[in-house]
Amino acid sequence: MENKEIKLSVKNLEISFRTDGGQVQAVRNIDFDLHTGETLAIVGESGSGKSVTSRAILGILANNAIKEGGEILYDGQDLMKISEEEFCKIRGDRISMIFQDPLSSLNPIMRIGKQMTEAMLINGKINQKNCRRDFNRTLSLLNKNMDMARGADNPEIRAQNKKLCADFDKFEYKHLELENEYNAAHEACVEAIDAIDDVLFHIEKHATTGLLPDVKEAIRLAERSVSRYVVHARAAELDTALDALEALIKVPFKLAVRNLVLPLVKRGAPVIDNTDYAAVATELGKVRAVLAEAADYDMPNFFAMGYCMTFLDEAFTALGAEAVSVAELNKYMRKRLDDEFMLEFIRVAEEGMKYSNARAVERKREAITVLDEHIRLFKERLEKKSSGAAVKALVAAVESAIDRLEIVKDNVAYTFRSSIKAAVRSYFDGIKRNAKEERRYARQKASFDKKVAAGKTPDWKVADKNLVELASIRDDVCGLIERVKARFEKNIAESETLDFDALAVGMIDYLKAKASGVAHKVTRGMAKSRALRLMEEVGIPEPRKRFRQYPFEFSGGMRQRIVIAIALSADPDVLICDEPTTALDVTIQSQILELINKVKQERQLSVIFITHDLGVVANMADRVAVMYAGKIVEIGTANDIFYSPAHPYTWALLSSMPDLDTKDVLEAIPGTPPNMIYPPKGDAFAERNKYAMQIDFEEQPPMFKISDTHFAATWLLHPNAPDIPPPKAVTDRIKRMREKANAARGAATDETAATQPESETNNADETVGAAQAQAADTAPDAAAVAPKKTARKTSSRAAVKKDGDGASASDKKTRAKASAASDKAQGGATARKSAAKPAAKSAGAKPATKSAGAKKPAAAKKPASAKPTDKKDGEA
Amino acid sequence: MENTDDILLRVDGLSQYFKMGAGRELKAVDNVSFDIKKGEVFGLVGESGCGKTTTGRSIIKLYDITSGNVYFKGQRICAGTRAYVDEIKRLRAEFRAKKQELKAACASEIAGGADERATKEKYVKLIADEEGASAAAIAELNAKKAAAIHDHKHCDRDYSQRLIERLTAEKNAAVELCATDEKRAEVEREYKEKIRIAKRDRIVNQIQMIFQDPIGSLDPRMTVRDIIAEGLVIKGVRDKKYIDERVFELLERVGLVREHADRYPHEFSGGQRQRIGIARSVIMQPELIIADEPVSALDVSIQAQVINLLNELRNNLGISVLFIAHDLSVVKYFSDRIGVMYFGRMVELATSDELFAHPLHPYTKSLLSAIPLPDPEYEKGRKRIVYNPIAEHDYSVDLPTMREIEPGHFIHCNDAEYERYKAELSK
Repeated sequence: MENKEIKLSVKNLEISFRTDGGQVQAVRNIDFDLHTGETLAIVGESGSGKSVTSRAILGILANNAIKEGGEILYDGQDLMKISEEEFCKIRGDRISMIFQDPLSSLNPIMRIGKQMTEAMLINGKINQKNCRRDFNRTLSLLNKNMDMARGADNPEIRAQNKKLCADFDKFEYKHLELENEYNAAHEACVEAIDAIDDVLFHIEKHATTGLLPDVKEAIRLAERSVSRYVVHARAAELDTALDALEALIKVPFKLAVRNLVLPLVKRGAPVIDNTDYAAVATELGKVRAVLAEAADYDMPNFFAMGYCMTFLDEAFTALGAEAVSVAELNKYMRKRLDDEFMLEFIRVAEEGMKYSNARAVERKREAITVLDEHIRLFKERLEKKSSGAAVKALVAAVESAIDRLEIVKDNVAYTFRSSIKAAVRSYFDGIKRNAKEERRYARQKASFDKKVAAGKTPDWKVADKNLVELASIRDDVCGLIERVKARFEKNIAESETLDFDALAVGMIDYLKAKASGVAHKVTRGMAKSRALRLMEEVGIPEPRKRFRQYPFEFSGGMRQRIVIAIALSADPDVLICDEPTTALDVTIQSQILELINKVKQERQLSVIFITHDLGVVANMADRVAVMYAGKIVEIGTANDIFYSPAHPYTWALLSSMPDLDTKDVLEAIPGTPPNMIYPPKGDAFAERNKYAMQIDFEEQPPMFKISDTHFAATWLLHPNAPDIPPPKAVTDRIKRMREKANAARGAATDETAATQPESETNNADETVGAAQAQAADTAPDAAAVAPKKTARKTSSRAAVKKDGDGASASDKKTRAKASAASDKAQGGATARKSAAKPAAKSAGAKPATKSAGAKKPAAAKKPASAKPTDKKDGEA
Repeated sequence: MENTDDILLRVDGLSQYFKMGAGRELKAVDNVSFDIKKGEVFGLVGESGCGKTTTGRSIIKLYDITSGNVYFKGQRICAGTRAYVDEIKRLRAEFRAKKQELKAACASEIAGGADERATKEKYVKLIADEEGASAAAIAELNAKKAAAIHDHKHCDRDYSQRLIERLTAEKNAAVELCATDEKRAEVEREYKEKIRIAKRDRIVNQIQMIFQDPIGSLDPRMTVRDIIAEGLVIKGVRDKKYIDERVFELLERVGLVREHADRYPHEFSGGQRQRIGIARSVIMQPELIIADEPVSALDVSIQAQVINLLNELRNNLGISVLFIAHDLSVVKYFSDRIGVMYFGRMVELATSDELFAHPLHPYTKSLLSAIPLPDPEYEKGRKRIVYNPIAEHDYSVDLPTMREIEPGHFIHCNDAEYERYKAELSK
């Protein structure tokens, strides 16, 4: 968990809305990180600020929103500060969203098909442009660094470098061309096999009504799969079978007309279909055999082939024709590529990267001294006169220290300029505002006093001073600088252990991905076929017919599926789901959740899932954040939240929802959420909370740490707080769940449960031990709850005092690790599976023409022990 | 059926088809039968588009049903004619075929050398017999059809007539007992008022509906008082004081306060709006409430409030509820019996515990396997069962019907499946 890359992080986000009634504080200072390939669920009532948070991430807040402060860091940018033009490149393409209300997020007067392909076409163009720019920029940067590394003065070396880069550029394009061709054919082949299976199934079941179009579709797909590299050897055989099929399914003109006209004239007139389906089945069987063989061929190494075809003038017209196996051919081509080009290129690239890194480290050292100098300056005092130059110097130092050849962008350094400028500006604005406020206060006070002195009692009061806290802003500025400094120090320390070999390979993968983006031209037809496939994938029957319909012709569930398909069509990094399944029924809900999970696994997608259905949360979430009145009141892994909830609001949510075993009266949360124009002074939930204490009304609780992953903001966790167990409904349910889980896990857990209670002397272990014992033993409720209570208190006390969280968390941690490991194992298995059949249906969501590995170079890397070229070509 | 007094609503072979143009029809609800006992909550579940809502709306006569009958408190309130029309058509066609057959037989006999006249006479008689039998059957069906049309159209009139008769009898009895003229006059006055209301009373008023969308179902330009009292006003109640009293009483009953009566719907939160919708339906003193997804548009915490409220109403007022929803955990919690619908058909019907403990129909199994529960460990292991009707059932030979596999547990199946399910159940 800890080692995971942070994809997006939200820091101190504060958003309010200007309304007629006053400023509604929708989001009040929330913090969270989203890791790669993780689902973070945000739970809470409507109006708790879940949707506002997600909309801020996507930059689509309403016009009356005020961004009070905070940062949303993503890919080297602070999304709170970038311009609308820049946002356009991110929105939809990188960060995508599924909205709650499908009707209002679709255009009622546009056909579904157009709405689906529109974004693909526009994004395709922009993507192409961006990829070309990135590719060229990175390659020239690499070229420059190579020059610098190997001696910029020597024209011979420079020419050599230039040639290397140009060659790479040239054959990379050829490679993509070939691969696109192959992918299209291979995909058609796999699809044709599926279609044929479907038809055969229907024929076997004698459900032949209206089957002819399906047969035709299968034939069309089979025809498309004939290509140089897919069905080449047995193309003739396939052709004859297809011809025979076409003859079989040909309906005589007269009959066709009769079938078309008669049902219109006479209701219930039967459609005459005298096709010989047995013969069709046998022919289809033949076609399937050919296709199945073709689908199992090894994929030629197109990267190497591209090189060979560009520079060696060797014609590889058709595979197998030369009676060489694909594996042998690959071996041959790869050897030539390695010997003649690749090893040299990698060596040179490595040198360049090493040079670039070394320079960056040097610069970072310099930057750190600059940072140190200024931090002292800023800490002492911040003056308007000197601050401009200081900020400039700081920014220059930090930005020059960035290693531009790094693939994973460093958020902290990249956003430094905008963050520090904003912070410094807000500081000086604050000074101005404070002075103004002081003047106002003095003026009003004077007039008030005057009236009082004159013996009148004014019917108004002097409003309190509303001052900006300058000290805290200054702390923020210093914090920013220190953050960069810490990051740089870490980078310097890490730079000694960097594996440049792997980095160079990563760089080449990156270039390949970008190149594939350039070659990947989205045509109208491609967009349509992709849209149709997506529609099928999200479970819309008869996509071809549906493609031409308007949104009002769809039912609610179908509309929602369309919206999901549109969101997925852009192939985003981060997917935000704002109550996507609230309006759907269970079967479709679970289909859609499975779909999102599947796509998430395939593409290493990070998902923010907003919902109030705790069942869905349990299904989807890796981590859960519970929000109330614009704040995160509890955050932890799914297991933390469901098995050991700590905040009274979480308890209330859990107990207000019936599950299949609930029999008692539900414990509804009384009252309604507070009015956020006047947020309560203390804990916002205090008024509806039956466990509220005096302090809850007076002071906001801080986040108490319960374990490494689990935090909650409630005074109940304070060491001086009384022990309050969760309500019975919650404990009962947790007990039931434990029992169920134990029953499922069987004997293995019984043993651990038996050993656990012995360690009762060590109270820190009890959080988990007691809970498990609770499930395994048939002890009465009270006895089971009691030790848990003390355990919670002691562990939280430990956390509050910050004198070590070791023991209390250790057990939980190991458990979390174990489950994570098993998850990983599972993920690995599926990954391997899909890798074995690159164009199998599981990979169907990917664009047909993009190479399977191109989009995720990280996943394609193989162990460092393999040959260098192996590493580069690890797509399959 | 054994104890008919207990049954409040009986739905018998309800079908609702919608015309789709070009002579095609959409069978939204197809031959659905169930009954609701007094004070019972009957849950109706199924995926969207399976006809749950249509069933509810057909019962309350928002649509004219295509065929089948709906009995409410023993009186038929909805009746469709399609079944009779089809039957008549079939009989006529049968008769025509028979006539042809007989004619052919006659001709062949004559050709074979039989006496022409005698044979003809014999066959004419035969045909006449056939015609007579067929006509009698058709006449019977036509009578049934006419009765159905009458009941469907005039059930309210019949009801109010019966009510008037009853009131008149009561009044007459009361008048007999009255000693003075003044008292008699008072009884007469009361009687007049009652008759005025009874004249426009409708039996369907005793079935009320709660709609899914609490925002869309309340008129934004009416105050809460007007919204809640509208039913009474339409019914003909003129006593302002009485109306106000009832409105306040109901507001308090559903957990709002008197002061809310003069506000407008937009001033309320979603849960409060749904409460207003409930108050509006309860004010008519219904015996049956059709709740069409009353909680699916609400927040979790508010869902619990509304479910608790409905539960309270049912326990205190003895109202029966037809609960249409897709959240199965809520249905399980709230309902006594559950009917599972799939593509317009009822596929399984059982008590809620029985249904969740022993689901038999593959669709029910698939539905139950899709319920998400707030338990991460369980969710990790949950496997959704996919229901594919083509693969599951072979109805090419033996058509399925609704059968009772255990007392109170009905399932839509054919003979072979019946045996299989039975074996499964005995396991």
